[in-house]
Amino acid sequence: MAHSQIELTPRAAFADLPITAPGSGVVVQERDELGIASVLARRGQHEALTKRVRERFGIELSPGPRRSAAGGCAFIATGPGAWIVTVERASNGCVTSLTDALGDLAAISDQSDGQAVLRVSGPKAREALCKIVPIDLHPRIFRSGAVAATVAAHVGATLWRLDDDPSGHAVFEIAVFRSLAESFWRALSESAAEFGVRMNGRG
Amino acid sequence: MSGHRLGKGGLIDRQRALTFQFDGRRFTGHAGDTVASALLANGVQLVGRSFKYHRPRGILTAGSEEPNALVELRTGARREPNTRATVAELFDGLEATSQNRWPSLGFDVGAINSLLSPIFVAGFYYKTFMWPAAFWEKVYEPLIRKAAGLGRASEQSDPDIYEKAHAFCDVLVIGGGAAGLAAALSAARAGARVILCDEDFVLGGRLNGDRREIGGCSGVEWTQRAAAELESLPDVRVMRRTTVFGAYDGNTFGAVERVSDHLPTPSPHQPRQRLWKIVARRIVLATGAIERPLVFGDNDRPGVMMSSAARTYLHRFGVAVGHSPVVFTSTDDGWVTAFDLARAGIAVRAVIDTRTKISASLLSGAKQTGIYTLLGAQVVATQGSHGLTRVTVRKHDGGMENLKADALCMSGGWNPNIALSTHLGGRPRWSDELSVFLPSELRGTIVAGAARGSFTLAAALREGAAAGAEAAQSTGHDAPAWSAPTVDDELSGVTPCWRIADSRGKAFVDFQNDVTADDVTLAAREGFTSVEHLKRYTTLGMGTDQGRTSNVNGLALLAAATGRTIPEVGTTVFRPPYTPVSFGAFVGHHRGKDFRPTRLTASHRWAAERGATFVEAAQWLRAQWFAEPGETDWLQTVNREVKSVRSSVGVCDVSTLGKIDIQGKDAATFLDRVYINMISTLPVGKTRYGIMLREDGFVMDDGTTAHIAPGHYVMSTTTVNAGKVMQHLEHARQVTWPELDVQIVSITEQWAQYSIAGPNSRRLLERLLGGAIDVSNEAFPYLACAEFQWQSMRARLFRVSFSGELAFELAVPARYGDATIRALMTAGQEWGVVPYGLEALGVMRIEKGHVAGNELNGMTTAADLGLGRMMSTKKDFIGRVLAGRPGLVDANRPALVGLKPVDRSKRLFAGAHFLSSGATVALNNDQGYLTSVAFSPMLDHWIGLGLLARGQARVGERLRAYDPLRSGEIEVEVVSPVFFDPEGARLKG
Repeated sequence: MAHSQIELTPRAAFADLPITAPGSGVVVQERDELGIASVLARRGQHEALTKRVRERFGIELSPGPRRSAAGGCAFIATGPGAWIVTVERASNGCVTSLTDALGDLAAISDQSDGQAVLRVSGPKAREALCKIVPIDLHPRIFRSGAVAATVAAHVGATLWRLDDDPSGHAVFEIAVFRSLAESFWRALSESAAEFGVRMNGRG
Repeated sequence: MSGHRLGKGGLIDRQRALTFQFDGRRFTGHAGDTVASALLANGVQLVGRSFKYHRPRGILTAGSEEPNALVELRTGARREPNTRATVAELFDGLEATSQNRWPSLGFDVGAINSLLSPIFVAGFYYKTFMWPAAFWEKVYEPLIRKAAGLGRASEQSDPDIYEKAHAFCDVLVIGGGAAGLAAALSAARAGARVILCDEDFVLGGRLNGDRREIGGCSGVEWTQRAAAELESLPDVRVMRRTTVFGAYDGNTFGAVERVSDHLPTPSPHQPRQRLWKIVARRIVLATGAIERPLVFGDNDRPGVMMSSAARTYLHRFGVAVGHSPVVFTSTDDGWVTAFDLARAGIAVRAVIDTRTKISASLLSGAKQTGIYTLLGAQVVATQGSHGLTRVTVRKHDGGMENLKADALCMSGGWNPNIALSTHLGGRPRWSDELSVFLPSELRGTIVAGAARGSFTLAAALREGAAAGAEAAQSTGHDAPAWSAPTVDDELSGVTPCWRIADSRGKAFVDFQNDVTADDVTLAAREGFTSVEHLKRYTTLGMGTDQGRTSNVNGLALLAAATGRTIPEVGTTVFRPPYTPVSFGAFVGHHRGKDFRPTRLTASHRWAAERGATFVEAAQWLRAQWFAEPGETDWLQTVNREVKSVRSSVGVCDVSTLGKIDIQGKDAATFLDRVYINMISTLPVGKTRYGIMLREDGFVMDDGTTAHIAPGHYVMSTTTVNAGKVMQHLEHARQVTWPELDVQIVSITEQWAQYSIAGPNSRRLLERLLGGAIDVSNEAFPYLACAEFQWQSMRARLFRVSFSGELAFELAVPARYGDATIRALMTAGQEWGVVPYGLEALGVMRIEKGHVAGNELNGMTTAADLGLGRMMSTKKDFIGRVLAGRPGLVDANRPALVGLKPVDRSKRLFAGAHFLSSGATVALNNDQGYLTSVAFSPMLDHWIGLGLLARGQARVGERLRAYDPLRSGEIEVEVVSPVFFDPEGARLKG
């Protein structure tokens, strides 16, 4: 019997999660196609890595918990010499290109499937997030590009703020372990229910 | 009928009538009423029975300090006991029920306690129900609890949702009265981020309960303007119906917002209550003051209430508390009540002032209004069955006079509301000048207004504004100058009167816990002279009101009884919560299956479709077994799964095992130091089993490490220890050996990993992978590992086995996990592939003598587990030194053995202890215990692993497995822990 090649279809972390209170106060979008990798500077290579990232990606790594981005690629600092790097529409492929560019200066590990990322925006995004995230999201405190390694309703999470959307509303992205996507979603969607929730297509 | 609604006035909406029920009787109130104000407006005075004596009780206060008027609110699943009628907002259709009475409020059998009161004194329970001791739990306590209860919980699941939220601010203002509003205004005008919390549903505090003038407008108008201004500012959050109930470290405060308590049912998706954690840089405590009752005979009779409460009912709710009230006062403030009542057209029967001299303006006011005035006089008794009808006054000259009265407004002075100032250990200090306890200095907190003993409105506004400005300034905001508004004059004279001597009847100090003045003196006489002892012996201040109205009076009585001053006696302090908080608010979202987060593997949905039974493993849900139609017993299912794997092939999701990526040029050195065995000799493309110890020499965890690429390892851990191992490695990397070039990160979540086990596992994989990788024994021998391209993904394959069969673990990026498990099942159809769960996995590992969580219990060494020879002598590693302690290398230590029942039909039970034959059942004869048991379908009887003293030397010996809880005792035979395929031939096929 010849090999019957079974076509494997990927499944998104937030696929088929229910929206119990439709509305437009909080807008969520799953970021399944984001390529994600952890990047850990090798010992003593922090400066060289900073220089290489500037050269290859045009990204100036800011010190502290900040997100530095250019051209669809973002370095999200999660600790000293540690980043989560996101690459738009790259999925698992981002690891190869990151390893080629930075592999001698940093340990790269694919996390595209390990991290489930949700974009949270809309006029009531802050009001919904403040119910599950114990950090100050005030626009002057948690500014665009800010990053926090925190917890969301007992789920470990990395939260960062992007630039505001065209209507001036704050835009956040929050990453949780994939296995916790459903528990996290229940907490977030319940918290957002009073404002109404809309799911945007994947991106 | 004494109380009644006046024709005009009050902050109620007279156009909106609300109907409600109390004890089944229908009444009408208005929007803006509390249950208490609506009951008073309907002439209801009797609202409950007291805790111990079942005495009739009425409404004492108009605030959250209420000790008496506790009712059950609502019915069915929403029934809440012990709700203070004085703060419960009225809504249409509200149902309230009185508590602690049977069969009815008017006729209560329990009131017999009151007749027996001479024996129900302080410490009565301690003294009486001492003997026989065995009776306490079974007889006395249930009886006492039944008789002396408060309300009844609903005992049904709460139908409402609760949630938690976090807020941050520069300035948190607690209390929305005059001082709080002024503080919030001045801080907000400076541009600070301000949160103002007030427990009431209307801001203003006493400004709503008094007739005051601020800057030419009424106190109510001033409040409304202040609220409007605050709410117009973007960085200000005004939180009504929000009680700050606790102060915690780091300027963190707990608050509960009653979002929907004032509605019959919450609107869709609206929580009933919201629990706030507020972190503030500065705090303004403007919690006001609480009026002190006077301690005189039968001062608990319905109709006796606080003077300020009577004023609140008058001004805020348009309710007169009686037709012919008397005022009993030791303060100027009591006179304000008398004058206000008189101005509203109520015939004030008399003002009885304990003081012999009062200010001339009060005297002239009395003259103008024609109020009968008795100075230097005291109320010594009250009469009336279910409500006040008459008071007995001892006049200054000693003569007695009876006065008809249907309400008594008592004014004993004000106690600053300092509860929150003591939550973090602040000790109140006594002010001789004011005869009150004042809050101590608190870091980051400014106390303003009545809460710090500044009882006039002018002072409240001035101090509030100054506090707000200071708080804003210290958080980097320049406050504009505050122009103090003009305020009408007031008198605030007080001469404290702690106890009315020679009172007749019971003079209550603590209304909620039925503690009288005599109880306090009795406690002192019996030696309970410390405040903490007094509190516990008499239960003074231990009710749900935390003695808000009673503590200071109690201390003063104790001081008098022991010949000390009040500061010498000292005071108890308050604990969170300030007022009761429902469990629902603390639980929030985390109820039912959201009690804690659940981790689901990529195959979960597929397993659920297959009808798997799940079990919790750490936070994960794992398939325990996959029952087939017709199977009636889990053991039947598990036996089938094991036999299928051992005879053909099975698949098990092992994604939950911890996976740690370890990279860097010193990665091998690092691994050598954390494992007891050598890893640096492991070539690329190979996997090795490893054991790691804790620093103290005991085994911490085991697992395999794969050398996936040069300088790149993947470590696996047990499911349960994944987080702990990660922490351990991070500590070693960052703290112990920062000089090593090694990078570690958890990749557990990245990969969905499946074990494919059984003699047909290779065939299945060849079918599935279609040549993507050569899995022949030559190309991919036992313990091989590889990363390879499969369709559009990079996948990983490991030839490792926990079952003892020919087995592989296939890892795919988690998004492909669902598709891969389905593809595995399809590819394995020809060989009858079965999914198997955690239980079958456990059976097979016991058959193979592999240790797991039951043996890796934190108390075993590598040698105990039969793995002592893995400990390398060529290198150092974490735990090596302490593993050499005499106690850990003692030959008598319990070590791993296998056990079989001598009678093969008998079942083994984990936990059974080993005894030598003939030994008595005693702890010092204990030889060890059974750690893991399973029914082996391959051997067709129960088998077990155990830790037995000198175990490995005792193979062949017979022992008793003693289990008094279940099986009693059975005879077992000590065998090798490897029951099945001891040569390991199947593994390498």
